[in-house]
Amino acid sequence: METTPTPFKIAAFTPDELEAPPLTLTQLTWRRFRRHKMAVFGVITLILLVAYAFGGALIFSEGYANHTDTTLRLNSPSTEHLFGTDTIGRDILARTIYGGQISILIGLIAVIIETVVGIIVGALAGYYGGLVDSILMRITEAMLNIPEIFLLIVMAKFFGGKIPGVDVFGRTYSGSVIVIVVIIGLTSWMYLARIVRAEFLSLKENDFILAARATGTSNSEIIFRHILPNSMAPIVVSATLGVANAILAEAYISFLGLGVQPPTATWGNMLDGANNYLESAPWLWFFPGLLILLTVLSINFLGDGLRDALDPRSRTV
Amino acid sequence: MTRYILQRLLQGIPLLFIISIILFVLMMSMGDPVATMGGRRVTRAFDYERLRRQLGLDKPIHTQYLYWLIGNDWAKVDLDGDGIAETTGVRHGVLRGDFGTSLVNRKPVMEVIGERLPNTLILMLAAEGFIILGSLLIGTYSALRQYSTLDHLTTALLFIGYSMPIFFIALISMYLFAVLFKRWGLPYLPTVGMFDPQVGKTTSQVMLHMILPVLSMSIVSFAAYSRYIRSTMLEVMSQDYIRTAKSKGLPRREVIFIHALKNASLPIVTVVGLDLPLLLGGAVVTERIFAWPGMGRLFLDHVSRLDLPVVMGILILIAAAVVVFQIITDIVYAWLDPRIRYDT
Amino acid sequence: MFIKNLPLKLIVISAVFSLILTACGPKVYPVASPEPLPVETQAPPAERKVVTLIYTQEFDYLSPLYTSMWFAWTAWQIYNHWAWEFDENNEPFPRLVTEIPSTENGGISEDGRVITMKLRDDITWSDGEPLTADDFIFTWEMAVSPKNTVATTYPYDAIESITAPDPQTVVITFTDPFAPWLANLWHGILPAHVLQLIYDTEGTIDNADWLKNPTVGCGPYVFAEWESGSYARFIRNENYWGTPAKIDEIFIRFVPDDASQVAALKAGDADLGTFISYADVNTLQDAGLKIMIEPSGYSEWMFLMVNEEKGHPAFLDVNVRRAFAMAIDFDGINRDLHFGLTKTPASFWDALPVYNDPPLQPYPYDPVEAKRLLDEAGWVDSDGDGVREKDGVKLELEHATTIREDRQDVQAVMQQQLAEVGIKLNVNPVDDTLYFASYGENGPAARGEYDIQEWSDGPLFPDPDIYYWLCDQIPSDDNPSGENWFYICDEELDRLIQLQSTQVDAVERQKTISQINQLFYDKVYIIGMWQDPDVYAVGSRLVNVKFSGVTMFFNIGEWDLAQ
Repeated sequence: METTPTPFKIAAFTPDELEAPPLTLTQLTWRRFRRHKMAVFGVITLILLVAYAFGGALIFSEGYANHTDTTLRLNSPSTEHLFGTDTIGRDILARTIYGGQISILIGLIAVIIETVVGIIVGALAGYYGGLVDSILMRITEAMLNIPEIFLLIVMAKFFGGKIPGVDVFGRTYSGSVIVIVVIIGLTSWMYLARIVRAEFLSLKENDFILAARATGTSNSEIIFRHILPNSMAPIVVSATLGVANAILAEAYISFLGLGVQPPTATWGNMLDGANNYLESAPWLWFFPGLLILLTVLSINFLGDGLRDALDPRSRTV
Repeated sequence: MTRYILQRLLQGIPLLFIISIILFVLMMSMGDPVATMGGRRVTRAFDYERLRRQLGLDKPIHTQYLYWLIGNDWAKVDLDGDGIAETTGVRHGVLRGDFGTSLVNRKPVMEVIGERLPNTLILMLAAEGFIILGSLLIGTYSALRQYSTLDHLTTALLFIGYSMPIFFIALISMYLFAVLFKRWGLPYLPTVGMFDPQVGKTTSQVMLHMILPVLSMSIVSFAAYSRYIRSTMLEVMSQDYIRTAKSKGLPRREVIFIHALKNASLPIVTVVGLDLPLLLGGAVVTERIFAWPGMGRLFLDHVSRLDLPVVMGILILIAAAVVVFQIITDIVYAWLDPRIRYDT
Repeated sequence: MFIKNLPLKLIVISAVFSLILTACGPKVYPVASPEPLPVETQAPPAERKVVTLIYTQEFDYLSPLYTSMWFAWTAWQIYNHWAWEFDENNEPFPRLVTEIPSTENGGISEDGRVITMKLRDDITWSDGEPLTADDFIFTWEMAVSPKNTVATTYPYDAIESITAPDPQTVVITFTDPFAPWLANLWHGILPAHVLQLIYDTEGTIDNADWLKNPTVGCGPYVFAEWESGSYARFIRNENYWGTPAKIDEIFIRFVPDDASQVAALKAGDADLGTFISYADVNTLQDAGLKIMIEPSGYSEWMFLMVNEEKGHPAFLDVNVRRAFAMAIDFDGINRDLHFGLTKTPASFWDALPVYNDPPLQPYPYDPVEAKRLLDEAGWVDSDGDGVREKDGVKLELEHATTIREDRQDVQAVMQQQLAEVGIKLNVNPVDDTLYFASYGENGPAARGEYDIQEWSDGPLFPDPDIYYWLCDQIPSDDNPSGENWFYICDEELDRLIQLQSTQVDAVERQKTISQINQLFYDKVYIIGMWQDPDVYAVGSRLVNVKFSGVTMFFNIGEWDLAQ
């Protein structure tokens, strides 16, 4: 469903080329991005959210976020607990901060995994063609043919409970976080692989590649230093939107009970835990829901803006 | 053209094999289907041994795959536990069309799937139709009034719908339109299921019960589809032939809907064609919340009980459908767009 | 022709679309039934009384012997019967028999091996055939036949032979005296006249249609239809041998999601909800539903692993186990998290008070005493990290339970309370098919990977029988399906458990089980967390509803709708 723009190597010119110097690529992209007001809104919101999730850790310690007090359970928002307390008396504000860290981290790392795998598969398939292409594309199609949510469920059940927790920077992460990151990454790389492959197929016939080969440049250098930088546009857009997709996927799996297990908090499993309290304790779902919404929305605006800005076929400047 | 079709079909076969092997291995390592057959208690030890033997679960994994693929009516199984295999098996295997019987209720897999498939098709086709119609209208409007206030507003609303987890939208809409509306005395919608037992399973009942699930699913997808239409419309509207049509003095409506939209909706064919077979998977989350008896719920229920034959049956069915639909989509697209030709 | 007017075009498109949808839509399904329904030619007709129940899981079979699902068991009382059933106090009363066999009326022999049942002579199946001793014998034969993939052969495999001297008498001979017969025999009867032929021709009844569409039954309602994943319908049995039922149709709808079940109950789309969680009790009561709680013998327990090789060395010391139990505030958890709706059980048999006499008290919540016990046992925090150790081993325990939100909530609270006395609890939420997998299937609990296991369990209620802690049930490579996942081999306990299952004399048995009761408490092998009764939400339309913890819907023939 993603558009595959052909690459452009020279900058466009402003309408009146006699009076102003030509714009560089970056300036042009930025100009087009700026017109997209919602994309700008998205960037600002994202920065604020990241500051909330990671900066908030300076105000509330993790111990405070995990501290339970059953006598205070299900209290509505008050001066002491700005977002209220949850079913076992933990402060929701602190939990959304630490939960946000995990959710955002899941999104980012899953996207890194899927981008790396997607680029490798797509580049190799597009560049070498032939048998390599056939095999890689068959595998890609095999995984695409299975609906994503089915794959997620099957893999979550397969890995669930088998991976122990890790200790990174003094904080313990339950094994289920690693599982989620891996399975989201492994079920989303196919789209990017196809896009990258399409880029490579069209780019590798170009003269400058021919020239590079004529001068004896190695294959890997051609792939990574010549073709890949020119196909960054769709990769960037795809990766950006992939973060949003990963955060939503995490919420889905949590709803099905297969996600990150409490007591580790994520926005997704906080939302899932609020299912029984839709009417009676709306603060349980309102805050994590709002945060997910804002994050995913901003990322989508950002990705949309990037796509418009980087897409040469949209003639408006 | 025929060569192309045949080639793609043949390429699909090793694909299905790969999928089946991957899934089989995954499913086998997920836990123990017999463990939860004891109801509220753990299965008793003597029942455990007996059930594993009777269900063929005590064989090694490659033997189980073999039996799944080509059946076991050429081999003997040991039914009474004395260690001697004396009874002939009854399964014919997938290659001969026998997908086995469910571990949960011993019904033939095809029967189990066949019972749920129509329900999913009703829901998903209605949803897909609603989404396409809506997206065409919204996307066209959005392209023509690019960057206007209404465009921004619509886009913002669509994106909000796209950015919320669907179970959330479904639960909120159920609470709002079914529970709260009823409490407030407004006309209300039903909460769960396909029909009201007091009335019976009539067409109007089913359509009434379909409103909330279709609505929930559509909200999520409108954004993606309509943005896509919008971008293709933008591309088409800047083409020369549109300028020619306008300069010829054709009415604007005709230009937009006859000339532009027709060409802009071509890529949608690809998207719809690829999405349609995935519809067979149903909407797992929506079906669970609205208790709609479809394929998505079937998959979820049987995966959680590790019912290998049914799960494999569903996945192979969908994979095969995707292969077939991809070919159909390519052909339809080529037929619609005279610029595309498939050579070998 | 081009339609130039946009709104008109939209109307045309919508009209075409809805026409297509209707054409492809589902056919009208007539409400099927074997007997004709009251025809709406008279005006106005009495509206059919339809009661809607919500099940959160769909049953896999609708036949006795083939399933152990709670949701299938509740259906027996709708269209089938047990030989004797249990009322709301879990007391047995005769149903298909004239009286419950006992030593006084000659129903049980001197040595306890022979049980004689006298059947009522007026019982018929819904198709008119009389229900006789032959049906009982047939049920037993089907249960023990190796060609049938039944869910469990217990207790029919303990029977040596069954004979029928006349159509109303059934004589059962057990190989050994079998104490738990009252609670475990005759959970539903198979109709021989329907299934015998199938068994003789096909060699098995596994594929019989009756197993899923039991059109012949002996209960107040008869099965009408079952649409997979969606619903099942039962209509009034006009040929019922007892008092006819008052409701026309029982409609069971399958709704897997808890939140959806609550929404449906609040909106009045259903009359009965099952397995209600405590969190929803208040909002359902506010919506006008009645919450009914029925003890079922189940409680949530922590089972401790006590074994030299596999277990944590700390748990070999009974004082450490006791300190563990005293460090957790169960009453507080039940008061706050379960809204005071349930209590802390002290005895495995707290739903059967006769075996819990004098009644045990739950371990007190006393972190100060817990710390003292731990200090005395030699577990001290020498390196100041908050976790005690001894001989270089940290007091770090693995706790596992299945994935369910209330369990994870309690785990978090326990973690904190145990940390306050210096015990580190690692929580492991595990998917249930993995958790309950056997040793042979590398199930982590069976392999002894967890020091503390937690799930909801009880004796074979209403019988007090238990079996987990037998020494020969310890799993190993030679015994891959062993059930003693706690690896406890306590000779005294083993002897007592084996003894009680043979004691047909109720007084003797009660004494033995009381000893086991006390042993569990003194040695802290199990720690009670909360009682787990069946919680139902009953809509305001339903009256005369009672529940049993064993035969749940035992008086469904008396349910009625308020006018």
